[in-house]
Amino acid sequence: MSAHPVIHTRDVRRVFESRKGFFFNELVRTEALKGVDLDVDAGEIFGLLGPNGAGKTTFTKIVSTLLLPTSGTVEVLGFDVTKEAHKLRPRIGLVLGGERGLYNRISARENLRYFADLFGVPMERRDKRIEEVLERVDLVEAADRRVEEFSRGMKQKLHLARGILHGPEVLFLDEPTIGLDPKSARETRKLIRSLVADGVTIFLTTHYMFEAEELCQRIAVLSRGRVVAQDSVAGLRKLVGGDRTIEVEAYGFDDGEIQRLRALPGVSRVVSEEYGPRLRLTMRVRTNELELATIRTMLANHPELALRERRTSLEDIYLDLVEEEAS
Amino acid sequence: MAPNAYSRGRSLVAVLRLSVLTFLADPQWLIPSLIAPVVFGLVAYELFSGAGPFFVLYAILGAGMMSMWGQTLYGSGWATGADRHLGTLEPTLSSPTPYLYVVGGRVIWNTVAGLFGGAIVFAVVAVTYGRPIPLSDPLDFVLMFLFVIVTLASVGVVFAAAYVYTRYAGFIQNVGEFAFYVGTGCMFPVVLLPFWTNPISLVLPPTWALDALRYLAIPGYQGFSWGFWWDIIGAVGTTLVYLVIAGTVFKSVERHVLEVGDLNDW
Repeated sequence: MSAHPVIHTRDVRRVFESRKGFFFNELVRTEALKGVDLDVDAGEIFGLLGPNGAGKTTFTKIVSTLLLPTSGTVEVLGFDVTKEAHKLRPRIGLVLGGERGLYNRISARENLRYFADLFGVPMERRDKRIEEVLERVDLVEAADRRVEEFSRGMKQKLHLARGILHGPEVLFLDEPTIGLDPKSARETRKLIRSLVADGVTIFLTTHYMFEAEELCQRIAVLSRGRVVAQDSVAGLRKLVGGDRTIEVEAYGFDDGEIQRLRALPGVSRVVSEEYGPRLRLTMRVRTNELELATIRTMLANHPELALRERRTSLEDIYLDLVEEEAS
Repeated sequence: MAPNAYSRGRSLVAVLRLSVLTFLADPQWLIPSLIAPVVFGLVAYELFSGAGPFFVLYAILGAGMMSMWGQTLYGSGWATGADRHLGTLEPTLSSPTPYLYVVGGRVIWNTVAGLFGGAIVFAVVAVTYGRPIPLSDPLDFVLMFLFVIVTLASVGVVFAAAYVYTRYAGFIQNVGEFAFYVGTGCMFPVVLLPFWTNPISLVLPPTWALDALRYLAIPGYQGFSWGFWWDIIGAVGTTLVYLVIAGTVFKSVERHVLEVGDLNDW
């Protein structure tokens, strides 16, 4: 991590207040962020993961100047987002995605032209730049069609095109591939990588673990408004207790067997879950010494025993972290 | 790159262009911009055709004002409500252009559209009447007409701020619409209303401007009886106050919506 991160936040808190009741006399306070510390370096793809309602979009809106934090420090490209938003906005891009956020009755090209003018894309380069971004998101052929005729995936591409139109140094992407078919999603990931090659820093939120694993150099997991872990995928694997995941499945295990599995060398975590009529134990294993044969011998009294080994995925890590935080 | 005068001017033009494009693409605007002025014009003619040319002028001024109201005042606020509805308020506010300039561009377009509505009313009555409406000084009249629209627009900007502030602004505007019609003297002079309502009316810039327009167009018009020039001074003064209020309010409204975080709510 560099001494001058592009995004730097310390103890960011955000409380939403709303009123309920017939006379709106009941004040409801929801603490969406409970002290978030993050640093994102120039030129990296940083992923923010978390379950629904964890505070990802709230945080993204704060760092992209669309929402003020209740307290804490938020600096992007050295600018304080609460006081210098007007200086920061020309240098960042935001893609919130979804069905909304576009002028549906006019064409994609006209949408881009409008936002190019609002973002101050130099007049002499504007039309060429619009053509470039349309090409980059593969919307050239549909450029002059009304947006209301677009599929969700095409709208998502147009959101992306608008986000990169003015050549931002930092791009905030809130679930950029949601609603895209596999081919378009792959193209979007390719586009994200090409933007990084051009020197753009990407801050990405996503629900797709494989996407985060494929794209991000570092990842933070947000749960209930707190960052529960922040590292590279390899670092997160170490944090949750190992590269290896062994799954053991049978028609029930007694407590003694589970205790003995927990005590095996290198085993950091054993989680049990019902899997139809069977019980599945998922073990995170830190070392290579533990062999499947050892476990098979230990549980030899289970005739229908199934054993599998795989590499610990980001999804495993994520679920471990989020469930740990919830418990 | 901080926004300078050039980029702000460019933003105004961009918003103006967007307004025209969305107007042309949306058939619902045919009603307030083309159909309503024709109806207002015909109703005014039918009501006052037997009362002489100046009564007709008197009536069509009211009809023209009502037509302009829909475009100039209502349209300026409504567009911001539409931004909330479409979800375009967030990307617009995330741009370096201050939102006041976005509203400014819309007000310019709505002013032009309002003028168009007023012109249709005049044309309809002139055609139905069989000859042009008698105007002592057509150029002064057109300039005054434009000035009335500016005063209407100044109120429209404040309404637009309300739309940014809360998604319930449409409710407030709808409730206040009829009171505004009557209170500013759109259809008939404010002096015909009970005296206690006059101070409320005089807080609104179009009241002064509409009274001045009637002084200009209708021979022997009495109005507030303080004369044309005091009406102009009152209109300019109150319009400036509204524009200052709008500028100040917009700064705090932008801050407020960033604190509340409901830009995307509809």
